[in-house]
Amino acid sequence: MLNVTINNQTIAVSEGTTVLNAARQAGIEIPTLCDHPHLTPFGGCRLCMVEIDGFRTLQSACTIPVSSNMVVRTDTEKIKTARKFVLTLIFSERNHFCPYCQVSGGDCELQNAAYGEGMTNWPLPPNWQPYQVDASHPNFILEHNRCILCRRCIRACSELVGVNTLGVEERGAKTIVIADLNVPLGQSTCVSCGTCIQVCPTGALIDRKSAYLGQEKNLDYQKTICVGCSMGCGIQVVSRNGQAIRIEGDWEAARNEGIICKVGRFTSISDDRERITSPMMRKGGALQPVSWEEALTVAAAHLQDTGKVAALTSTRQPAETLHTFKQLFAGGLVTSFEEGMTTSLASKLAADKGKAFEGSVKDIKNADGFLLFGADLTNQHETAGFYARRKMQNGAPLIVIDSVENTLQHLANCTLSAKSGKELDLIAGLTAAIARLGQSKAEYSGDPIPVMNAAAASTGVSTDLMLEAGFKFASAAHPVIIYEGAKVGSLEMLMALVKLAETAGATLISLKGGANSMAAAQYGLDKAYSPNGHQAAYVVLGDEIPSERLVKNLEKAPFLVVQASHISKLTAMADIVLPVTTWLEQEGHYLSVDGVLQKAEKSLPTAGKDILSNEAVLQNLAQQMKISLNGSWQAELLQRTSPVEIAA
Amino acid sequence: MTKPKVATDWLAGCSGCHMSLLDIDERIVTLVEVADLRSSPITDLKEPDESGVAVGVLEGGVNNSANEEVALRMRSRCGTLVALGDCAVFGGVPAMRNFFKLEEALRRAYVETESTDGEGKIPSDPELATMTRVRSLQEVVPVDIFVPGCPPSADTIFYVLAELAQGRKPVLTDEKLGWH
Repeated sequence: MLNVTINNQTIAVSEGTTVLNAARQAGIEIPTLCDHPHLTPFGGCRLCMVEIDGFRTLQSACTIPVSSNMVVRTDTEKIKTARKFVLTLIFSERNHFCPYCQVSGGDCELQNAAYGEGMTNWPLPPNWQPYQVDASHPNFILEHNRCILCRRCIRACSELVGVNTLGVEERGAKTIVIADLNVPLGQSTCVSCGTCIQVCPTGALIDRKSAYLGQEKNLDYQKTICVGCSMGCGIQVVSRNGQAIRIEGDWEAARNEGIICKVGRFTSISDDRERITSPMMRKGGALQPVSWEEALTVAAAHLQDTGKVAALTSTRQPAETLHTFKQLFAGGLVTSFEEGMTTSLASKLAADKGKAFEGSVKDIKNADGFLLFGADLTNQHETAGFYARRKMQNGAPLIVIDSVENTLQHLANCTLSAKSGKELDLIAGLTAAIARLGQSKAEYSGDPIPVMNAAAASTGVSTDLMLEAGFKFASAAHPVIIYEGAKVGSLEMLMALVKLAETAGATLISLKGGANSMAAAQYGLDKAYSPNGHQAAYVVLGDEIPSERLVKNLEKAPFLVVQASHISKLTAMADIVLPVTTWLEQEGHYLSVDGVLQKAEKSLPTAGKDILSNEAVLQNLAQQMKISLNGSWQAELLQRTSPVEIAA
Repeated sequence: MTKPKVATDWLAGCSGCHMSLLDIDERIVTLVEVADLRSSPITDLKEPDESGVAVGVLEGGVNNSANEEVALRMRSRCGTLVALGDCAVFGGVPAMRNFFKLEEALRRAYVETESTDGEGKIPSDPELATMTRVRSLQEVVPVDIFVPGCPPSADTIFYVLAELAQGRKPVLTDEKLGWH
């Protein structure tokens, strides 16, 4: 610990603490612009200048570490004059005319800093140099004229997301933020995660959807979790008058520390499908609005013999709802849309082993070597891809094994693509290669060379490539294998992956598909959908878009009841449609990819008076069908051996 | 004691700041008790007294030779000059024009506007004032008090005028600074 005196207040801080953070610990505020708690200090804006005894000039508090018995002043006239001068230079450099900016009036850190210094004007005339606005991106606009070159967006793109799309070009006042080698953002390598918008201190990065819809003081904020996939990232829903206008990453969520992907930030609230606002029933060939009572009575009559009901649920529903659903239709065929495609083999292996065998998201974050087996970390579970890319830019190797072109293949050190159906041989070959290199972390029985040769012959992947991939991967101290559950195919394949993981000393983790696929698996909602003389079908569609496969599967259902929030192909086919809430309008628990149970909060009011939560509809139906629901959803979640440790 | 004289005028602005001034409502009576409101664009007397006024208030930026003339006249006749509103303080919305060439802006306004029927024509009468780049007031004349805001709130304007009328210098901080 070092003693530092700031404005006559002496505190002890640990070595390496910056003066800025020491001041914060002492409760002394130093204004900043380029500083961001989740980014490395940059020292670019010069607003945090402080006087330190023994230094000839003012020093930037964000970059200078404290030394023993340092004496710092943050409030002298010299500092105040310097701050005003710094702000004057920033204001006069580009177009900082507040009246026509969407963040003006409380959300602009530059404006707040100036008002904080009591500035009523700035004495230098502006530069009047216009910059082209980059509006090529579908989700946001880059307005260079409002940019103060703090480089927060650039640091976020690199340090937090690991994508490195943003950078700068030119020098001095001509410096400009660019994407790639100065291409329009919309045509760049940008992954549309929007982290740059979230860190921008001014109005330079404009979110198309929420711009001009209100300032922080007029908006409502609700922290919850994203249900776009099974990563379970913490998000903050920003709404006004019950309408979601923007989604932000939750900096305080330990799982994702503020980072979310395009699905979480943009896709999840860009829903323009028509809502269903009242129960509907097919009368004379067309769906007609009816009362809840009538709809439930008729539905219950058709569903009463649950043994003859085929019931399907979305995995975007909370555990409570999945549990109620399972109990309600326990007598019949009851499963989820995914039919356990992503989870059933892992669940079976866990049952055979009698214990969990997969790692956690933390293992991905801390890994220094990655092997993707069929995992698409760009379109789904993208934050896992970001964690990997962060490490890859520091030299962590990436090995890709995929039957189709993988979305991260262009970043891979080695891409191993086996002939169709020969993936098992390839994994065996790679395992043997690691053993051949003497890098096996577990017992390897037999001679690896013939295994490698046989694998090379059947898969078409050379032994050299297997050795190279094996060496790169097994040389990592904390390697991790991320596999797509749906692409494993057989239990032997999964066991081969487990063996590869043991040999390489790697952590294994599978992508689980939907937000609650893991919970659905724990409740046994992972059977294949194979109706056989079933008289009725019940579908908990919720806010999901029905897949072609699902629609086709249900075409032949003699009587179809769908609970859904939006009009879709499936509701058009249904005999009874029950209006339900979307993910933002209901609450409940979700079991993440690595077995962490989290609660999603109700973030928006329900969109209509006749709309009920998915849970309430099932409860009402149970009452109508005189089925008593019992048992605890929490306890039953733990009954089955899970592939991951469940922290419930 | 004679009441201090106050004169106001507007330059390249939208008159919104003067509307905000009127928004002080019945407090204008209080103001009249402590100050002698002389000329303004919204009263009969249009020009500040030649003998001088204590406080001059200007709204708007300076965008042509006529504005310049008004600004210089006000400056020469007033003791304390107040720049009222964002246009006077920074240039404001009219200053957006500075990012284009003057000719481009005029062509857009007089020729290319959607509502222009037939041949549009950029006015060129020699009696018209000469247009310049839009400047903040302080680029043309020295300014004593800056009141930012688009427009500054009625409360802020009342505070500023009341302080000046009583011979004090208004200090704008926190909520008195114009949150747009």
